[in-house]
Amino acid sequence: MHNYGGSAGSGRMVVSGNGRGGGGGRRNSTGLSYTHDGLVDTGLTTEAGSAADITQSKGEEDLAERRVLFMGMPRSGKTSMLTVIFDGMLPYDTLGILPTVQRISYPMVAGIMVYDFPGVDDYSETQFNNISDSVYEGEHTSLVYVVDSQGDLQASLSTMYSIIRTAQSVNADIPINIFINKVDGLSDELKQDIQQDIQSRVMKTMTYESLNSSFVQFFLTTIYDESVREALSRVVRRLVPRYSSLETILNSFCSKSSLDKVFLIDMNTKVYLATDSTPTDSLLYMFTCHTLEAIEEIMTMCNGYAPMGEEETGLQKTVVAMEGNTKIYIYQVNSYLALLCLVSLHIPRHDSLLEFNGSKIAKAVRKILPS
Amino acid sequence: MGRSGAGKTSMRSLIFSNYSAHDTRRLGATIDVEHSTVQFMGELSLNIWDCGGQHKYLENYLNEQRENIFGNVEVLIYVFDLETASRESEYQLYDDCLQKLGIYSKDAKVYTLVHKMDKVPDPEQKEARLELYRQALAKRSDLFKPEVFGTSIWDHSLYHAWSQIVHRLVPNMSTIERHLEKFRTLTDASEVVLFERATFLVVCYMTADMSITQSKYMTVSQAIKTYRNKCSAAQLTFQSFEIRNKNYSLLIEPFTKSTYILVITSDPEIEPAVTKANVKAAQLHFQDKLMI
Repeated sequence: MHNYGGSAGSGRMVVSGNGRGGGGGRRNSTGLSYTHDGLVDTGLTTEAGSAADITQSKGEEDLAERRVLFMGMPRSGKTSMLTVIFDGMLPYDTLGILPTVQRISYPMVAGIMVYDFPGVDDYSETQFNNISDSVYEGEHTSLVYVVDSQGDLQASLSTMYSIIRTAQSVNADIPINIFINKVDGLSDELKQDIQQDIQSRVMKTMTYESLNSSFVQFFLTTIYDESVREALSRVVRRLVPRYSSLETILNSFCSKSSLDKVFLIDMNTKVYLATDSTPTDSLLYMFTCHTLEAIEEIMTMCNGYAPMGEEETGLQKTVVAMEGNTKIYIYQVNSYLALLCLVSLHIPRHDSLLEFNGSKIAKAVRKILPS
Repeated sequence: MGRSGAGKTSMRSLIFSNYSAHDTRRLGATIDVEHSTVQFMGELSLNIWDCGGQHKYLENYLNEQRENIFGNVEVLIYVFDLETASRESEYQLYDDCLQKLGIYSKDAKVYTLVHKMDKVPDPEQKEARLELYRQALAKRSDLFKPEVFGTSIWDHSLYHAWSQIVHRLVPNMSTIERHLEKFRTLTDASEVVLFERATFLVVCYMTADMSITQSKYMTVSQAIKTYRNKCSAAQLTFQSFEIRNKNYSLLIEPFTKSTYILVITSDPEIEPAVTKANVKAAQLHFQDKLMI
């Protein structure tokens, strides 16, 4: 699916010919990729990091309707986050990722696209102006701004205000999600302090600059645990089509089958699209992620088996039991979605009833979210 | 046994004390000899002597303490560091150890692990480096025929090596294997694997398809061990897995006091509940008759 615009390649070459630095090169190349429309395959495949399912879009017109825009200063961790989530890269391997020079898109379920923009380091430079205002349009667009908590906060935040100003001039109601990244290795107290500090700074400045701060959310993230996935889940939630009906279904599933918690989870990225309306404990979510990982690993062992049942009845069902009465039931909905239910009550003959309910709910979800 | 920094304590912690590979970074040097006893497969208790690798300790082992160290040894595991500075002195030490072992416990079994294999990324080169060791060691030890394994704490090769070692140590292995095969044919399962409970090392396995090798189960060992550690973070204890899809049904369940069992069935006629019942029925038999 690689489809790198030739314009980007030539842009790079022009820059190196002029003998400009790496930062300038990045800016210019992206700039050119938006202005030219030439299609020459230059075979530039390494710069994007990895992954076969990365599609490179050439113009602004073909952005998906439901989209998440990842922006931030260079080296704040945007590409690292996304490769960990979408390509399953190990967090320790992200150190070698090269700077992103072109916008990369990652397809998610339900028609949601995640766009990784090249790092923006200064508003006044040409590159930023080349992100056309139209990317912010539409009611299903969400902006994620990644802040490096260990880096230059002042510069990062001032760039962010510029972006927010532009975005809000186009789309006043755009949700703004601020990922305070690289908080690994910090104590909980320090994390809270950092969030408090950034939050109060941002709120103050936004009021001062008369920006609308009612759609701003803050998340503490690190690629070394599941916090990025959780944050992305909460961003994506607002973009999921017919979210309220999904939530209603999951709520009734929860109460009728006496479940503690149910997630509608994307198996590839482990990002959840919907959950019931009880509060989500991040420890619990982390645990479900680990469970899915373990199942995935165990299943790699059994690759050699040929299908023995039909497609319809052969959807995967998994039960993971813990000591005590806690059990996790996972029912496959379709090739990429699954219902993950946590139960801690022991009810005799519950298994088969739950399986029946689960299959009904899965059917309903399939109707709501056609693949 | 092995030189300082080779990774002896790291691998011991990984296998027997639920460390994760990243945690081993915190370990310090072993002072003198660390003795530990591990209950393995119920009846069997392993005394593990983790010998500090600093030069002065090694001198000590080979001279004053030689009878104490090398007497009554069932298995000697010698760990080589792939990136050793001087291979010659390493071999020299190895020779000395084996010579002493030959005097004090002639019937011991020797395993050599070439550790830190992850430093060589290319699998072909890995094999070449291992072969180098194999040849060098074959020339040296005439009394013992050591088996050479390449290991790394970052992948499942360590589990592979240790499973082999353990396989040799369990006394009534052939009986267990026979009973397990019987169980497999009776339940029409495609694959049955026994894991030790605490370490999740593969004890033995039986398959319908003979081409299946043990290394494939190492991923399970590793996955479940990491998963168990992660569960404890959420204050839960892992008990069992049951996966059913259109290709197979897989069951991982606690079996006897000291083992877990993994059963894979690929016959669509067999309901997972039947397999479960069979496992329960066999459990008593294995526990009482085989004392595992």
